[in-house]
Amino acid sequence: MYVIIVGGGKVGYYLAKELLAEPQHEVLIIEQNADKCERIAEELGDIVLRGDGCEAATMEIAGFGRADMVIAVTGDDEDNLVSCQVAKVKFNVPRTVARINNPKNQEIFQRLGIDVTVSATVAILAQIEQELPTHQMIPFLTLGGGLELVAVKVPAEAQVVGSAIKDLLLPHESLIVLLISPDGAPRAPTPETTIAIEDEIVAVTRRENEDALRAVLTSSA
Amino acid sequence: MEHPTQLAQDILVPVDGNPSAFDALALACTISRRNKGTVYAVYIIEVARTMALDIELDADARGAETILQQAEQIAGEADCKIEGEILQARDAGHAIVDESIERGVSAIYLGVDYKMPLGEFELGETANYVMDHAPCQVILVREAAGGVAE
Amino acid sequence: MRVVIMGCGRVGSSLAARLSTEGHDVTVLDVRADAFRRLPSNFNGKKHIGNGIDQDVLARIGVGDADAFIAVTQGDNRNVLATQVAKHIFGVPRTLCRIYDPIREEMYRELGLETISPTVMGANVLHGLLSEAPPAGEEA
Repeated sequence: MYVIIVGGGKVGYYLAKELLAEPQHEVLIIEQNADKCERIAEELGDIVLRGDGCEAATMEIAGFGRADMVIAVTGDDEDNLVSCQVAKVKFNVPRTVARINNPKNQEIFQRLGIDVTVSATVAILAQIEQELPTHQMIPFLTLGGGLELVAVKVPAEAQVVGSAIKDLLLPHESLIVLLISPDGAPRAPTPETTIAIEDEIVAVTRRENEDALRAVLTSSA
Repeated sequence: MEHPTQLAQDILVPVDGNPSAFDALALACTISRRNKGTVYAVYIIEVARTMALDIELDADARGAETILQQAEQIAGEADCKIEGEILQARDAGHAIVDESIERGVSAIYLGVDYKMPLGEFELGETANYVMDHAPCQVILVREAAGGVAE
Repeated sequence: MRVVIMGCGRVGSSLAARLSTEGHDVTVLDVRADAFRRLPSNFNGKKHIGNGIDQDVLARIGVGDADAFIAVTQGDNRNVLATQVAKHIFGVPRTLCRIYDPIREEMYRELGLETISPTVMGANVLHGLLSEAPPAGEEA
């Protein structure tokens, strides 16, 4: 895969480093700052292009036209948005991923067609919420096409405790993908798997069905 | 004979078809043969990022073959062992430095033209990069300034 | 008409002053307080300090009730993000966005934003002037 990373800060650097460890990937970082470019080239080799990752001329030279994926990870949401939008609209890049610094921007990015958004702020908040004894649905990752990966802990009084997965009435286009026992052991769900108290359920659902899914998995008998 | 320039065995010479590069090659051959080393003549095809790095560029490859044949002829006249190689890279400077490390050569001999693009002498991006980053010795062979019009 | 103008530079401030004089309800937003010095002393619209790419800020200054939103900060990408938020999240009926880069401007126009590029307009005006006869009294 040809992956173009816009932004050569810490996120971009480590992302490139990890991707380069897999030989099937070709990686390019676009970075405006000359010192950062120099440092990346010294550490990771000739995989950096100095320039503005939102400017069509630079994007052309970088080969956006043949990129399989563009990942915009600068510290500025507006730059990440424009990089991804131009990549999609002008260069038909099949998959765009944007780092979001302000969690409030998640919705607009998705509405504007960015395939995946990743927010450290949201992830950390989710971790904090996970420590709380509430049984909230925690959004982990936004997938393409309005789908989300979410997790929820099954409360002791929940109606679903003891039920097999095949008997659950899940909302439309919702799928249980993983169960984690209170002791931390993961279980791959089968139709016969029964749900136990304090199981953590990881599921894929449509954003609009989140509440319905939570209700199924947490509401009391 | 104790100076590094006199002791160089394996030498990397980037050739691009310019006379100054062939001149550097001839010098490298003289030194390397005396020390029973090998001269690596390398032609670098710079591939734009709009294309995959391993794309087949027939026209460029044919041009490279011709230039490497000329290099072999020069080495033959100097009775020196030579290995020719064509490399595809994004940037010539990076490729030269990487190749010098991989081959573990004692020196890079680089031919440079006498160019004054903006009225002042400029070394060029590739030579600058090599001078800045090559771990081994670098010898620049600059063509005589005579050809430049006043 | 309720108009929100993001960016109180030369263009933003003179537009705000004009609209305000015409009797419109004008709100000006800028990240720097000293940008408001460009507004005339008789400006009777609202002034807010804040970053227009933050949706909370836009909500606070009432973009949801605005009839028009105009993004004229120095940053093309900031204008693009804020305009799209105003249009798609807050449903502002009329949005205008300044984009200096002609290529980006063209692309966002094709995507349905109402955009202007001062770069293109400037070049067009100068080109037009050159193809006209010079004013009397001046050498060609």
